Amino acid sequence: MVMMLPFLTGAIAVWCGLRGRRRACLWAWTLTLLVFAAWCRFHMTDPLGLPL
Amino acid sequence: MQTLARSAGSGSVLINSVALAGICAILIVAFVWQFVFGELPCPLCLLQRVAFIMAGVGLLLNVRFGPSPLHYSAVMLAALGGMAASGRQVLLHAAPGDPGYGSPLLGLHFYTWAFIAFVGLLGYCAAMLAVDRKWGDNAIPRPASLFGGLVMWLFLLVTLANVVMVVLECGFGACPDNPVSYLWWQALAGAPG
Repeated sequence: MVMMLPFLTGAIAVWCGLRGRRRACLWAWTLTLLVFAAWCRFHMTDPLGLPL
Repeated sequence: MQTLARSAGSGSVLINSVALAGICAILIVAFVWQFVFGELPCPLCLLQRVAFIMAGVGLLLNVRFGPSPLHYSAVMLAALGGMAASGRQVLLHAAPGDPGYGSPLLGLHFYTWAFIAFVGLLGYCAAMLAVDRKWGDNAIPRPASLFGGLVMWLFLLVTLANVVMVVLECGFGACPDNPVSYLWWQALAGAPG
């Protein structure tokens, strides 16, 4: 799990949005969301100490 | 007609600029706290920062292109993801006797503040979608005000600073669950372990 990856794609999304390239921005944003979801799954699998 | 289209939602653009400034403030406070108190962000903390950046991108698009339901949906999806990550961390440390992760700020830990902020972002989007119901989608960039431009560039700088920070902390791999040092910073400085 490369933790810097969603930060990098997020920065690309910010840059594209700032430069007025909305389509590229939204693609980078979507990629960020997918990586974010995958990384959440990786880091959120430990059992909780609470009976939910 | 073109003037009318450009002025459409100008008040909303200002509000979105202020909201984006708020996201910048959150990321800057977390950044300052990290270095002043020497508390390294855990993986879940970093994921919450990613969610704030994603939410900020939606707000930035509102500033750059004018308000659009598409941009608000990006903010809402990011807020939902951030709520999942921060809510998970709240539950991890909710057990009696657990001191929590990091130092509290004004009585609450950062992940609890983050959860509140993500809920606030959802409420913000719900309200702004009602306010901006008259404006449709627009893919043509519009000139930003001085304040809007400054906030967008500040957001880019804060995001890039986070990229550098996370590389110094974790390198190009996964971060440990309880980080105690900057892996790459130590490697670059030639210090042991």
